[in-house]
Amino acid sequence: MKKTELNEINRNIYDIKNKDEYDFKIKKGLTPEIIKEISIQKNDPDWMRDFRLKALEVYNKLELPSWGPDLSELNMDEIATYVRPKSKLNNSWDEVPEDIKNTFDKLGIPEAEKTSLAGVGAQYDSEVVYHSMKEDLIKQGVIYTDMETAVREYPDLVKEHFMKCVPVNDHKFVALHGAVWSGGSFVYVPKGVKVEIPLQSYFRLNSPESGQFEHTLIIVEENASLHFIEGCSAPKYNKVNLHAGCVELYVKDGAYLRYSTIENWSKNMLNLNTKKAIVGKNAQVDWVSGSFGSKISMLYPMSILNGVGAKTEFTGISFAGKGQNLDNGFKVVHNAPNTSSVVNAKSISKNGGKCTYRSLVRINEMAKNSKSSVSCESLMLDDFSVSDTIPVNDIRTDEVEFSHEAKIGKISDKTIFYLMSRGISEEDAKAMIVRGFAYPISKELPVEYAVEMNNLINLELEGAIG
Amino acid sequence: METIKLNETPVRTARNFRINNIKLENIEIPNSLSNFKNVTISYDKNKIKVEEKANKVDLAYGLEHTLTEQVKTEANKNITLTIDSKEKAEAKINFKFNEQNKELVDNIEIIAKENTNATVVIEYESTSKVQNFHNGIISVSAKNSANLNLVIINLTNVETNNFLAIQDTIEANAKIIYTIVDFGGKNSITNLYSNLIGKCSENRINTIYLGSKDQLFDLNYIGELRGEKSNIQIEVQGALTDNARKHFKGTIDFKKGCKKAKGNENESCMLLSDTAKSLSLPMLLCSEEDVEGNHSSSAGKVGLKELFYIMSRGFTLKEAMKLMVRARFNEILENIENEEAKEKIINEMNKKLD
Repeated sequence: MKKTELNEINRNIYDIKNKDEYDFKIKKGLTPEIIKEISIQKNDPDWMRDFRLKALEVYNKLELPSWGPDLSELNMDEIATYVRPKSKLNNSWDEVPEDIKNTFDKLGIPEAEKTSLAGVGAQYDSEVVYHSMKEDLIKQGVIYTDMETAVREYPDLVKEHFMKCVPVNDHKFVALHGAVWSGGSFVYVPKGVKVEIPLQSYFRLNSPESGQFEHTLIIVEENASLHFIEGCSAPKYNKVNLHAGCVELYVKDGAYLRYSTIENWSKNMLNLNTKKAIVGKNAQVDWVSGSFGSKISMLYPMSILNGVGAKTEFTGISFAGKGQNLDNGFKVVHNAPNTSSVVNAKSISKNGGKCTYRSLVRINEMAKNSKSSVSCESLMLDDFSVSDTIPVNDIRTDEVEFSHEAKIGKISDKTIFYLMSRGISEEDAKAMIVRGFAYPISKELPVEYAVEMNNLINLELEGAIG
Repeated sequence: METIKLNETPVRTARNFRINNIKLENIEIPNSLSNFKNVTISYDKNKIKVEEKANKVDLAYGLEHTLTEQVKTEANKNITLTIDSKEKAEAKINFKFNEQNKELVDNIEIIAKENTNATVVIEYESTSKVQNFHNGIISVSAKNSANLNLVIINLTNVETNNFLAIQDTIEANAKIIYTIVDFGGKNSITNLYSNLIGKCSENRINTIYLGSKDQLFDLNYIGELRGEKSNIQIEVQGALTDNARKHFKGTIDFKKGCKKAKGNENESCMLLSDTAKSLSLPMLLCSEEDVEGNHSSSAGKVGLKELFYIMSRGFTLKEAMKLMVRARFNEILENIENEEAKEKIINEMNKKLD
């Protein structure tokens, strides 16, 4: 029997490179002088400059993780951590330089803004080049802006929340982020305001041998709601690029936040991103995550359920092709009674790619009557790919309902046989099974992203009985 | 007194998950061992050969270097069982700890020759309350088409430090069924490595553990499937009361070439107090496409409805709890044919849940 063939992701659009032009590029490496220079270039207030320098000290003290993918090819002496594009922040696409605008046009961002988004932020290399939001949201007090503007204009809000949810000593790459962060989005949704249409930030890294370290800080106040979408991509270069972003989400009592991500970095990218949410009483955060790009990815979004009745759901899919090592997963800590978590993770490995699902469910002593249900499934499409499942379940009280299940394997011959016995061709049967496998995730994505995901996976099945 | 870090998982995960290994403080590893006399070995003499010597087997994993070396160089009890009969054979080794026999370092080798069929029971029990030390290696070789039931019972007292490393190699069409009863020890640390090299080789690991007071169980089971159509089933059922803790690390590793292999792992923990803790890491590692791997894990308290039902039939809460635990363990207990051993286990279970 011939193998089912799943094509690699078509990267034509994402691999378009612009000339490496910039207004300013910091020299490669990581020293206190470089950090001070970034701070000067960004016109940081004193507290932020001091924060960066302290984060660098922490970075130098912490070790690389002793687990997960091999990161030995990462050499910070070869990475420029700040690249300012030749464009200032604009609120009209017409003012964005032509080549940068063309890139975002091809990625479909301005079009999506017109049809289905309430606001858009677009970052190119280290700075946000475009930001806008619908007028009615501004009137309701919603703030959606780049992080630099937020540091200047909302210093109290930023100081209260910036790197408090994800402290710099969490791990080495968070400390790195704290030292060199640049760009990203700040969202503030006031009490009771429901943002019905999603906001989206798109992060594009064009410059070779550089890093992107955007910081996303979202505060959804009591009984408010928001759907935030994050997209990211980069063209492929021969040398390593680094992405060490940080996402901090504060979901206050009774609030709701859905955070959707389609990550499609190039295959020379080390994606060492950190995302964490603190969830209040009767509040909910839902994560929807599609991970397709990167050479190496280490990404484990985390929900900390601090309020009574807090909830979280994680729905994620990873697709690892040739040369990719995607080590993804989810972490949840139940810190209050009646909290609940639901995890549904899937992965597809093909053509020598490696997918790892790594997770933590911790139900602490005070989280009485909490529930957690975890399900992960891995599909292997050839015999030289790898798929691992490494879940940790840490249950510290008796009044809980916890269950975890995982499956690993290939497309079932029996299922193909069954579908074929109903008159469906083998190719169609296999296509149906793989689409069915990915469906629980794609149905959770906004329509345009679900379409993009289907295009990304490009399920062209050639299998036939041989 | 030493601090030792042991029972490393084959693949590491984040350090702050605190499961890659277990760190034990104030462990006294005895330097000079006196003879351990309180051991009885009964066996079918026509079918099994018993020798008071054992090979120094290299362990693929093991618990920790110092403990492994201690068994290799200083064991105060070496036993080799060679099973050489197609008819069903039986052997039982009983180690009784008491005030005169407090420290046991044993090296047990079991060789099940081709086409043999045997049940071997190994018991460790304490007859006094003094602290005991046990450090052992059991290495098993199941040759082609051999069939071995291996029952390992730990009923040492709750002051004991119990360290056990088990390693097996299973050839074509051979099968090992483990029944492991882990009730004893202040710290009971077990490493079980199974190497399924043969086509259609099979391993079934059935474990029950019951923790009370401040007991700690750290179970690290690693099954590597290499043979085509090899099969491993891991079933771990446990209950924890008081401040007892359990770490279960189960790894099923499908190695390249183990086509049509199957691996299932099911772990379930009943939490009988709000200070008992269950930590688990059921891993599936897969480098082969044509396999089926599943794991499931669950934890929680005894079902209130079931408790209510049993109590409505006139049982007290304590009796009802005992019945629930017994019901959970029963399927695995039924694997033990030796009635005397089974009775001892049930008595110990009742005592711990009183």
